Amino acid sequence: MDILLQQILNGLSIASVITLIAVGVTLIFGLTGIINFAHGEFLMVGSIVTWLAVANGISFWLAILLAMIVVAVMGFALERGLFRFTLERPTNGFIVSLGLIIVLQHIVIFFWNANQKSIPRPLNTIWEMGGVRIASVRVMVIFITAAVVAMTFVAVTRSRYGRALRASVEDRDTAALMGIPVRRYITGVFVLGSALAGLGGGLLIALFPITPFTGGTMVMKGFAVALMGGLGNLTGAVVAGLILGIVEGLSAGYGFSEWTDAYSFGLMILVLLFRPNGLFGGTSGPKMA
Amino acid sequence: MPASHSFRSLLPVLILLVLLALVPLLSPSNRFVSLAISAGINVIALYGLSVLFGQTGILSMGHAALVGIGAYTAAILARDFNIGFWLSIPLAGIMAAIVAALIGIPSLRVSGHHFVIMTFAFGQLLAIILTNGGDYTGAASGLDVQQPVALFGLSIDVLTHYYLTVVFFVALSAIASWAIINSRYGRTLRAIRENEKLAASLGINVGRHKIGAFIVSGVFAGVSGVLLAYFLRHISPSQFSSFPSIYLALMVMIGGARLLLGPLAGGILVAFLPELLNLDPVQSRILYGVCLIAVILLLPNGLIAGIIAGWHKMFDRRAAQPSEPAVEREGK
Repeated sequence: MDILLQQILNGLSIASVITLIAVGVTLIFGLTGIINFAHGEFLMVGSIVTWLAVANGISFWLAILLAMIVVAVMGFALERGLFRFTLERPTNGFIVSLGLIIVLQHIVIFFWNANQKSIPRPLNTIWEMGGVRIASVRVMVIFITAAVVAMTFVAVTRSRYGRALRASVEDRDTAALMGIPVRRYITGVFVLGSALAGLGGGLLIALFPITPFTGGTMVMKGFAVALMGGLGNLTGAVVAGLILGIVEGLSAGYGFSEWTDAYSFGLMILVLLFRPNGLFGGTSGPKMA
Repeated sequence: MPASHSFRSLLPVLILLVLLALVPLLSPSNRFVSLAISAGINVIALYGLSVLFGQTGILSMGHAALVGIGAYTAAILARDFNIGFWLSIPLAGIMAAIVAALIGIPSLRVSGHHFVIMTFAFGQLLAIILTNGGDYTGAASGLDVQQPVALFGLSIDVLTHYYLTVVFFVALSAIASWAIINSRYGRTLRAIRENEKLAASLGINVGRHKIGAFIVSGVFAGVSGVLLAYFLRHISPSQFSSFPSIYLALMVMIGGARLLLGPLAGGILVAFLPELLNLDPVQSRILYGVCLIAVILLLPNGLIAGIIAGWHKMFDRRAAQPSEPAVEREGK
């Protein structure tokens, strides 16, 4: 029982980071139809920024803020410089993102080599509760993610900007006719998604050492989650993130740890086969005339 | 761009290959020949991808996995059944085709975008399975291939002999690809690429033909895998995971998927560019990524088609045939 709880907690903390990616992926896809595989590299860059900042004596909390800002600026530049030109052909956007994966990974390797990078844990307390050992750093990651995702959720569902965003996802052209500056929203979503990936990167390196190749596996899981939830569906992404986290945690706890990476791909394939729009329904991309 | 129904499109490729076959006469360095061999092995898989992507318009981001199936089939056949190089080639081709069918039948139920992700996920899944396969697949460290390769009693393990064998298989796959492009079947595939709904309304079984194209491309990949296994003599799961798949897609994009010269140009260019510019592997990968992005945004038909279009623009004012993007718009 104790192991069960502990593994669920471990799973949830990783799931938090995956959910942060999934939210960005799902928002960007919903609005532009672009499957941005480089999102995982955004996360990795976030980790690297955090690592560099902490290594230079900046506190962890400032470092993750810095990571968010740097990655958001990067997302802005890439949207304006590259993805903007692929809006009419989202498949090209996808291929561009594959190119970006290689470029970003190897730029990081070029400057900071391919070795594992880690930071000292920002929180060292471990609570013991009835035989369950709970690392406070994991709880912190779960809480930060929950708060940020909840904020994003409220912003998207309640604010007038969120309503305009959802209208643009529903039908880009009609939304534009209603006076919604769709292009600006696309940039905004890229920036928001990138900032979330930057945050995810900062939190990830607090949990585990990372390498320049971490982004690749994380983005696949983020995608698996976004797909399961239904691309473009924010709630779906969060629920699917929880499911994946628990499944991974349990499988690691019961001795199938070498297969953990396979679950996300397997689940994704199954969901796509039997419910191509995800478990909770999503869009199949922006409608384009 | 209607595929020319004549022999003319195949001729430059064959001439180029004959010239390439003469290269060993110049006594090039071993390193050069090795690079050329790995380029050639990629080109074989690229001809398969060009049928899939160039003709049918479906992109596979897990193609290295099918190459891996070919390579592992060859290695396991050699280890457990003492089956050598020549018999491995058809068997690995069949095996890769079967796996392509297993991946393709469910994957092609989902359209466009999702298919690309499915192929990527299957590719990753395969690398995980190979890694967790224990002694049978040699786990993360992979398998050795020890069988000698001989033709009519003549050993072709010598580097230049192996090079000629690869050139022969490249020629074979170019001819096969040409034959497919210029057949009724190729026309059907292009009809699907141009307008899936229209093709379906004309009575074409779109799903079955897409799966067919995927299986055909799988055969090429399987054969290329055997050549790879016997060239490297050691294979491991990481050679067939996500990066090699992206790398193959990059080559086919840079060369251009629709022209017969495209895969050959893409494979050779990507293999030799770092050597020419004297880049280390990290720098050359950055360059590949930048090239991929630049080609997609600036020359969506690939480099060769771009050069041809530029040539026409400069020397032939009226020949401005509107170039069509290689990647169709999806998600309607």
